[in-house]
Amino acid sequence: MLSMQNVSMVYRTETVETHALRDFSLEVDEGEFVSVTGPSGSGKTTFLNIAGLLEEFTSGSYQLDGKDTSSLGDTERSKLRNEKIGFIFQSFNLIPELDIFDNVDVPLRYRGFSAAERKERIDHVIDMIGLGSRKKHLPSQLSGGQQQRVAIARALAGEPRFLLADEPTGNLDSEMAESVMQLLEDINEKGTTIIMVTHEANLAERARRNILVRDGRICSGEPELHVAIGG
Amino acid sequence: MFRYYLKLGVLSIRRNPVLSALMVAAIATGIGACMTIVNIDYVMSGNPIPHRSDVLYYVQVDSWDPYESAREPDGPPPQVTYRDGTALLAANKARRQVLSYRSSRVVQPEGATELPFYVESRSTTADFFPMFDTPFMFGGGWDALADDSQDYVVVINKEVNERLFAGENSVGRSILMNGDHYRITGVMDTWEPTPKFYDVNNGSFGEVEEVYFPFSISITKELGSNGNTNCWKPIDGNGFEALMNSECIWMQLWVELHGTQEKQDYLAFLDAYAESQKALGRFPRPINNRLSNVMEWMQIEEVVDDDVQVLLGLAVLFLVVCLLNTIGLLLAKIMRRSGDISLRRALGASRKAVFTQYIVEAGIIGLAGGLLGIGMTWLGLQGIKGLYGGFDFITQLVTMDWVMIFVAIGLALVSALGAALYPTWRACGIQPASQLNTL
Amino acid sequence: MEIGPIWRALIRNKSSYVLIALQIAATMALMVNAISIIQERTRLMGRPSGVDEANIFQLYSMNFDPDIDYQAMVAEDLDAIRGFPGVANAVMTNSVPLRQGGWSQSLRIEPGEDDEGTGTAIYFVDEQGVDTFGVDLVAGRNFEPTEVMWFNPDGGRKWPESVILTRAMASELFPDVTPAEAVGKVAYIENNLPVTIIGVMDRMQAPWKSWTGVERSMLVPMKRGEEFARYVIRAEPGYRDELIPQIEKMLAERNTGRIIDGARTMTEIRERAYMEDSAMIKLLVFIVSLLTAITSLGIVGLASFSVARRTKQIGTRRALGATRPAILRYFLLENFLISSVGVITGAVLAVGLNMWMVQTFNLTPIAWYIIPAAMVTLWIVGQGAVYGPARRASLVSPATATRTV
Repeated sequence: MLSMQNVSMVYRTETVETHALRDFSLEVDEGEFVSVTGPSGSGKTTFLNIAGLLEEFTSGSYQLDGKDTSSLGDTERSKLRNEKIGFIFQSFNLIPELDIFDNVDVPLRYRGFSAAERKERIDHVIDMIGLGSRKKHLPSQLSGGQQQRVAIARALAGEPRFLLADEPTGNLDSEMAESVMQLLEDINEKGTTIIMVTHEANLAERARRNILVRDGRICSGEPELHVAIGG
Repeated sequence: MFRYYLKLGVLSIRRNPVLSALMVAAIATGIGACMTIVNIDYVMSGNPIPHRSDVLYYVQVDSWDPYESAREPDGPPPQVTYRDGTALLAANKARRQVLSYRSSRVVQPEGATELPFYVESRSTTADFFPMFDTPFMFGGGWDALADDSQDYVVVINKEVNERLFAGENSVGRSILMNGDHYRITGVMDTWEPTPKFYDVNNGSFGEVEEVYFPFSISITKELGSNGNTNCWKPIDGNGFEALMNSECIWMQLWVELHGTQEKQDYLAFLDAYAESQKALGRFPRPINNRLSNVMEWMQIEEVVDDDVQVLLGLAVLFLVVCLLNTIGLLLAKIMRRSGDISLRRALGASRKAVFTQYIVEAGIIGLAGGLLGIGMTWLGLQGIKGLYGGFDFITQLVTMDWVMIFVAIGLALVSALGAALYPTWRACGIQPASQLNTL
Repeated sequence: MEIGPIWRALIRNKSSYVLIALQIAATMALMVNAISIIQERTRLMGRPSGVDEANIFQLYSMNFDPDIDYQAMVAEDLDAIRGFPGVANAVMTNSVPLRQGGWSQSLRIEPGEDDEGTGTAIYFVDEQGVDTFGVDLVAGRNFEPTEVMWFNPDGGRKWPESVILTRAMASELFPDVTPAEAVGKVAYIENNLPVTIIGVMDRMQAPWKSWTGVERSMLVPMKRGEEFARYVIRAEPGYRDELIPQIEKMLAERNTGRIIDGARTMTEIRERAYMEDSAMIKLLVFIVSLLTAITSLGIVGLASFSVARRTKQIGTRRALGATRPAILRYFLLENFLISSVGVITGAVLAVGLNMWMVQTFNLTPIAWYIIPAAMVTLWIVGQGAVYGPARRASLVSPATATRTV
């Protein structure tokens, strides 16, 4: 479903050239739960941005759901993001002035659904994460774990092809982290593809497949535990 | 501590030069617009003769039309008739009194080189000069004796003296006006009462007359008023004598009275006079005599332009917008500095300390805004002068005195501090260390 | 569009938006009232005086030699002026429209003192007056030379027998009567003296521009004076400016026992009369423009700040699928909502302010269409001001969403 071949990302400034990704190739099939790990600076954030169509890569090719993404304009990329990808961010990225309902609503508005359809989807997905009674609450009134669950609901509401999670439990205590991971596992069990970027090895282990990234390259399958723990 | 806050304030301003400059500019513009109009209003409603304004009274008696009052809704006429003016003058019931009106003359310089020229003149009795405390370069006015014996005396102003006598002391010399010689008793120095209170009927702001000569002579020469003449009743006859006997109003009567008792007495006298005129078949309206001191008379005559007041209201609205702008800018600045604030609170600053710090900073901005605002006001006044170009009296209206300067600074400070209240209150609400991890 | 969520978000974080809305409201209130005043003054200034303003000028002669035969002097002066090359016509009179000083009298339709008469401005002229002033006779006829009289201070009839009125004065005296029908009617001056209306002119303003009766004037075929003579001269087109010094010189040389002064064109007289109104208009235009600029800058400033503060949010929206135009539209819409609150509040404020000013200063009430016009203007100004920051917002990269700092 997601296919990258020899993707490279080079940041050029006047003085310095940084190779964030080198020759990165990856295939992810439908229904997979893949984690991408590596120490900080390894390029996993760059991978995330590219996979999520948040940034354009320098060379190589990337097909998402069969469609080639190289020559897409900004509007088409935005559309793809909107329809195919569900984002989950480390710091939840909920909009503080909007209540839960309106937060989940944001991507649906860009989709062009009717008001009735949106309401149905939002209600369904908020109930699913167990916060049905708190639709009118603001993010500041929720715990970290609950906020992340709302973010997950937001990601799911549009029935994306895959979820792209960036350190989903990075800002949570262990108890909340556990409940969020549980939720992700449940979602994956129901058939949603998940790609999770993290630097925590024990989280990475809960995915079915783990990709190790170092210096912008994919390394062999074994995660180097001592490096991961230290990172 | 205060000096520390001052230092912090200056540092903060320097760190955000654009934002601070915008704030100062916003305040300065608002102050400039406001103070320009306030200045004009202030001068227009100022007391033209503060040391005497309480003892000078304008006399009005109601000799007007039985079917219609002279001034809405029921005010007496704004000038007096010849009959009433002279009768009241002759009764001599006040400490001093002056009856006068605006006329015009032609001065004929007695040398072949200078051509005759037109002057605005005032036909007046002797007390004009002491009552209105007119300034003299040389000599002074004349006395009651000169009035009664119809002496050909004259007071000329500085400019006429320059023109005829090259500015020398010309007391005792004579000038030729409309074929007659008048002996100079005094040369008046520059006199710019603002407003020209003693005769507002003919323009409240303008230059005073150039030449002053006795009322009695003016009447003998059958000179009418150069100002307004209003009659509610047809003049009985054709000539000047008919005008003198008529109900037409064309002259102004001022009296000097000290203390309430004198004022009461004079009012009683006016009432008695009105009664006596009623007995003669005049004064068909109910008795309606008025004695107004200088400021009261200015008010009745509505000397301050309506337009100025409208502009004043709009200028205040302008200032409000500028202040709202300042509040917004301050709020933005404080939100941007929230890291600094929460750090200080973490290090032990109390809410009061935060409040004081930012109020002091606002005060500095206000002071700067006020000073710049004075410059803007000056610009504004020059602009007004330009709009009204060519009218000399406007110069009086567009000068700033120290009172106005202090008001400008005061207004700027108060506005800046007022505007700062809400943002500063918000600043105090920032929790200690709450913003630290985003530093 | 996303009006609902934007509105809810605005309500929750009111402070800076309320400030902008208030600024817009105050600007609106000022703009509406200023426009109303400008409209009214422009209307006042646009009123025609009825005379040939482009070509007319006045000057006066002031005698100081008591031996001058005044009436002879006037007769000779008028002959000389009328015969001067470039002069179309000339007349001796007491005033001109808009001079702010002049004569007025009351006319009645019944003799007697009881009721109020109707006030009218008076212009003393001879049979050349109509032509000199350039007024249009719409009914009746001009004066004959025999109808013109000199005022005699020693006695005799105080007013001539025939007069010419303006249309406005005629219809004030005789309502529902056409100008043609008014000719021949009799009115009474100074309570009892009858005068006959022999002609009606289209319009000629009184000297006092703010007088309610400013369109009521009367031509009286009379000459009067003893030392002072005001001459009104109409030049042939194009000759006015060069004529003035020439006539001044000619008259001064003819007779040295008087001074010639006070030369002023009708154009200058009009300028002086409306000087304050003209200044007021300019001032108001300046104030409104300045205020709009300030409010505009305020919007730019606060919008820039607001955008900068929400970079992460913008990036997140982009990540979630918002296109660049969608982000631009979001901020334009947000500003539109704020402006709407501002202009609606402003409209209420404007009407309130106007009502107070109508009461206190006797201003004219605003024409209703000024309010929507001002609203649209401020909407456009607001959108224009926010466009820059909104565009910057739309350029925020989606990758901002994943940045941790």
